[in-house]
Amino acid sequence: MTTTEETPRLPFARANALAIAPDYEALRRQAPISRVLTPAGDPAWLVTSYEEAKEIFRDKRFGRSHPAPEQASRISGAAIQDGPSGDFETEEAEHKRMRRMLAPAFSAPRMRALGDRIAELTDRCLDDLQAAHDAHPGEPVDLTDFLAFPLPVLVICELLGVPYADREKFRGLSERIAMMNGGEDAQAAMTEFKAYMTKLADEKRADPQEDVISDMVAVQADDPTFTDDDLARMGAGLLFAGHETTSTRIAMGTLFLLGDTSRRDRFAADPEGEVNQTVEEILRLTATSGTGLLRYAHEDVEVAGTRILRGDAVLISSDAANRDATVFTDPDEFDPARTPNVHLAFGTGAHVCIGANLARTELRTVFPKLFGRFPGLRLTTGIDEIPVRVNRVAGGVDAVPVTW
Amino acid sequence: MKITTDTDGCVASGQCVLLAPGTFDQDEDTGTVVLLSEEPAAGEEEAVRQSELTCPAAAIRLSGA
Repeated sequence: MTTTEETPRLPFARANALAIAPDYEALRRQAPISRVLTPAGDPAWLVTSYEEAKEIFRDKRFGRSHPAPEQASRISGAAIQDGPSGDFETEEAEHKRMRRMLAPAFSAPRMRALGDRIAELTDRCLDDLQAAHDAHPGEPVDLTDFLAFPLPVLVICELLGVPYADREKFRGLSERIAMMNGGEDAQAAMTEFKAYMTKLADEKRADPQEDVISDMVAVQADDPTFTDDDLARMGAGLLFAGHETTSTRIAMGTLFLLGDTSRRDRFAADPEGEVNQTVEEILRLTATSGTGLLRYAHEDVEVAGTRILRGDAVLISSDAANRDATVFTDPDEFDPARTPNVHLAFGTGAHVCIGANLARTELRTVFPKLFGRFPGLRLTTGIDEIPVRVNRVAGGVDAVPVTW
Repeated sequence: MKITTDTDGCVASGQCVLLAPGTFDQDEDTGTVVLLSEEPAAGEEEAVRQSELTCPAAAIRLSGA
């Protein structure tokens, strides 16, 4: 540790919700992979360039477990993406089991079949948004309260078989486990979250339904190595990832479309024609302000001339890779006409986001409906006044105040 | 254009199926890719090219024009 004082420490500060920190670009100019300190103060490699990000995502010599977990670099004081997870010897087999168990439930045909239901739930959310607006004419309405938060929660609750009535409970737990300075409270929240999922799994065991938690319980019945703790952790992870991430993309997508009136008008003029590419551009540009996705090297690996040693922590910044000018022309420009738009918002390789089809289906439903119904939607505050959540793993914004 | 897929390498993300549902499907039990035809379905040429580019497992190969 000779250069600690000069080593940049995550997270980096950004100008506003739509921008990413300039530090990423500055680091990428020097090298595709840089030495950084994690928010917890431990050493890690930060990958900022597209090609190397893609390569490491796809390289099986990098995983989520660590050969000697007690010696591993810690990332933050949150209870997710905070350090190693899983067992070094069995990680690959367990990951395959998990994917095999969950892939059918999140398949494209299943998500397509869910499309009508998502449309119905979106309409209901927009009715609530309208009602809130009418109740206090002239006052801003927070789009996160009426659409960005409730819609993904309604959808993931139905898919997993989680009662929607419990939303405030797991909203609170989700916030606490993801606080990068959470420490003991984040761990306590994770314990509580797992207890909640265990109780739910018990209910499904007694009375199975057509939902993912029931599917997991059924798989567990035939596999003694699949522990109650595994099931609880996985269930909590799905519930967390199934709403936080999509909520953020709905909020950020709205900000991107409202940040420039011509952008909004172009989209509102032909929502169905514009939506697929607009959603890809929203996915590319939405930055979480977190640390990037965590891997540990399972053996010594050389990437782009950098020697990464067995056990080293590697943070892959999709936010930065998605704005790599060698791949994306004018990378900071919001340009739905961009093609191809092969971004890394869902990662890639064996760990690619299992909910990608669900997220795309939700996002492709929500924006045409929102702008079809409220073509004159506008922000009631400047983009620089929208507070960014810098201390949360999934990033996002606190509020999207709108009117029309 | 001829399409080949590597089922063993497939990670069952289903992104190709969302892009080109007339050309690709997913196995109901495993989620892995099922090739419906070796040529892109009508109107899906561009979507099939996108599928090759975006496949997380690089499990889709195109040959010919």
